[in-house]
Amino acid sequence: MNVSGVNLQSLAAASPASPGQKAAGAEAQQPFKDLLLKSLNEVNDMQVNADKAVNELLTGGEANMAEVFTAVQKADISFRMMMQIRNKLVQAYQEVKDIRI
Amino acid sequence: MLSSLDISTSALVAQRTRLDAVASNIANMSTLRDENGDPQPYESRFVIFQTDDTLKTRNGAVGVKVASVETSKHKPNLRHEPNHPLADENGYVAYPHVNMTAEFVNALTATRAYEANVGVIETTKAMGAQTLRILA
Repeated sequence: MNVSGVNLQSLAAASPASPGQKAAGAEAQQPFKDLLLKSLNEVNDMQVNADKAVNELLTGGEANMAEVFTAVQKADISFRMMMQIRNKLVQAYQEVKDIRI
Repeated sequence: MLSSLDISTSALVAQRTRLDAVASNIANMSTLRDENGDPQPYESRFVIFQTDDTLKTRNGAVGVKVASVETSKHKPNLRHEPNHPLADENGYVAYPHVNMTAEFVNALTATRAYEANVGVIETTKAMGAQTLRILA
């Protein structure tokens, strides 16, 4: 399982406001939007996996209870992480919106 | 963080397999025929684990998986029962050698190991929740 979408190095590389880091992360540079979409997709994949696992468990498939519960838990954690990031983004947007010009 | 969940889960699966082996050994403690119906006393099963590097993290932490299920090298117990239909020419019947004490100790260790791994999962979950508080 990887949540590389939110690892610190790629975040630093993606943010234009980090002088001195440019040389190191030149090839790893990707827009923040891509980063966000990628982690969103990962969260979605995990939800789908959890759904599949639960289905298999309930229909008497080959699924193992521990594995199913872990899939559900992982989906839950990554979803909550995504919600936190979304909250933070919305908060930043509100701040900018409230700037008086 | 999520990879430690996977590692703990691999341990849960492995320990459950061990408990399955104990269940099988105790269930078959007086089984005298094999799956084909031939006279062959049951041999205790032993579950062997190995490290599983499909779950390897960047820091070298690895999961666990079942390497193999081996059968006991112990010879069957011979009991003198001359009238038993499966008795040999000397009147002995070969009964499986299942060491009940060892099996129950195994079951206990497997259960405790399972609990320990569930504990690790809970800690991981708590750590994840705490981490989210940074952003909140």
